[in-house]
Amino acid sequence: MLNYLTRRTLMKGLAATGLAGALGGRPALAADEPLGITLVLPSPVGDVGWGHALAAGLEPVKAAYGDKVKITVIENIAEGPDADRIMNKTVADGNKFLIAGSFGYQNGALQIARRDPSVTVLHASGFQTAPNFSPFAAKYFQGTYLLGMAAAALSKTGKLGSVSAFAIPELITSINAFTLGAQTVNPAIEVSVVWVNSWFDPAKEQEAAKALMAQNCDVIFSNAQDTPSVISACEEAGVYAFNLNSSMKKYAPKKYLGCIATDWSPFFKASVDAHIAGTFKGANAFLGVAEKVVEVVDWNSDVPADTMAKIKEVAAKIADGSFSPFTGPISKADGSEAAAAGATIADPEIVAMDWHVKGVTTPLPK
Amino acid sequence: MNAVEFIISGMLAAATPFLLAALGELVVERAGVLNLGVEGLMALGAVLAFIVVYHGGGHLLGFVAAGLGSAVLSLVFAALALGFRANQVATGLAIGILGQGLSALFGKSYESLTVKGLPKLAFPGLSEIPVVGRLFVEDVVVWLSLAVTFAIWAMFAYTRVGLVVRAIGENPKAAHAIGYPVIAIRVAAIAFGGMMAGFAGAYAAAVYTPLWADGMIAGRGWIAIALVVFGTWLAGRIFLGACLFGAVSLMSLAAQATGLDVPSQLLSSLPYLVTIVVLGIISADRRLLRLNGVASLGEPFER
Repeated sequence: MLNYLTRRTLMKGLAATGLAGALGGRPALAADEPLGITLVLPSPVGDVGWGHALAAGLEPVKAAYGDKVKITVIENIAEGPDADRIMNKTVADGNKFLIAGSFGYQNGALQIARRDPSVTVLHASGFQTAPNFSPFAAKYFQGTYLLGMAAAALSKTGKLGSVSAFAIPELITSINAFTLGAQTVNPAIEVSVVWVNSWFDPAKEQEAAKALMAQNCDVIFSNAQDTPSVISACEEAGVYAFNLNSSMKKYAPKKYLGCIATDWSPFFKASVDAHIAGTFKGANAFLGVAEKVVEVVDWNSDVPADTMAKIKEVAAKIADGSFSPFTGPISKADGSEAAAAGATIADPEIVAMDWHVKGVTTPLPK
Repeated sequence: MNAVEFIISGMLAAATPFLLAALGELVVERAGVLNLGVEGLMALGAVLAFIVVYHGGGHLLGFVAAGLGSAVLSLVFAALALGFRANQVATGLAIGILGQGLSALFGKSYESLTVKGLPKLAFPGLSEIPVVGRLFVEDVVVWLSLAVTFAIWAMFAYTRVGLVVRAIGENPKAAHAIGYPVIAIRVAAIAFGGMMAGFAGAYAAAVYTPLWADGMIAGRGWIAIALVVFGTWLAGRIFLGACLFGAVSLMSLAAQATGLDVPSQLLSSLPYLVTIVVLGIISADRRLLRLNGVASLGEPFER
């Protein structure tokens, strides 16, 4: 019985591949089989954080398609050979829609996309594209700019801090925009950064937050931490803090400054729609407020009303595309000019940003 | 508070998870057994303590649960490594992976939750000294860890129990010949080591960081094992190594916060470098190493 089933499944699989090969196109899913969607994540899915935001982004897809999709979330997969193996397995099992939730999955995921054109791959924060492979990233900087304005208005010491995971462009742009936003309120503001050189080490992240507080930083930006390590340490010390991806207000009811929330569902939904219609085209998806992927939520009521009014004004301009946080004049930390007055830095330069703006006091690791 | 005060005030607490786990491993290795499962034993202790504290059981009960749970898991190691004389390295690794898996399983619904830590207690008098006084404001677990360090040092240096454990580690056959129950004492040492690793995890999850997240031990168990070796199996040096590691970790973060122009990657690796170099220099005396090294480490005992 077992043998027979295995062989039959195998034959079916062979027939399907043969058919796909014959058609040469990117076939839509077979009518009776649900579309298998797999999300692979580097960290465990908690109530908050990066993994949570990605997993939550699939909920509307599930709601829209019901039984026509089968969603699998595989969490806590280390970048490297392990991830490659698991992604290969999930595609071999017949899942045709893969979301690779970490930068380090790039090469393995791209190989899968190249080998099998009927698979659609979305890859978090990478730079490679292929016809069936789209990297995606959030324009967090649009939100950190606004939080910079609020932070500068609330800071008594004029010193802000950021606990940051790794010195990669995505995180650097967030810090730069945060600094630029803060400078619109207080031009003399200083921003210190501690790179913990780890995506996941709650104890070290908390030590880093305390090190920043010891330097009198009184607003702290938890940059890419998946747990409330920094947020809860700041609440305890009476220091304002904010983070990315999903709200951690419940961990810091008093001092939570706000959250740059990401809602991936519009992007995921549109990509799944395109996959099913057979119209998916791999492209660099750099998504922000305009695409409804990035939104600042849970503003702290301590932010002064006049600052809040200004923030709302800027937020509206960012949303309609008439203003970019990276509008000159911008000087780099080494004193050279990054953008002349009135000029804006374009997206391709933003995604490759490897310098700090003037005002960030910590030198960037080289 | 400046950077120096930050390091001084945080050093002992940062060292405590390493210290507790390493002291446990010290006793295990002194008895001649190599248990490489510390990372997993810590993770299990961490999640058990967190769950108890989260549900209002209090820190004392949390530590008891962590100590018991990790001791039980370490007894599985004992059964395989001593009972069936399995390879200790392989068994230890397997138990470590099992512990991490169990911790992920038990902690699934507690992911990223937080609890309240313990209040800091000031050592009367000493805590009023400027700058250095910050060293004497610590939570109760840190104070108890110092006491345990002293107790273990005294046990090996002065007591009969300490001598028996050392004798078994040095020459189990001779110890057996003069009537000591080698296996029973090794089992007890392993259980003690497991309990201490559990306490170390409990401190990390319920006091130091106070939150639970799968993988939060982040290699601390391995550093604890390294501290035992680099500390040449002496409690005092292990204490020194743990403090050094804690202090340099904090220093590397403080250096970045103050804007020092040193690459952060170098700073992040500094705790490892400094600890290895300093303990390496202290332990350069070959005679001392031979004197303190455990002769039968990792070898199964057969009558």
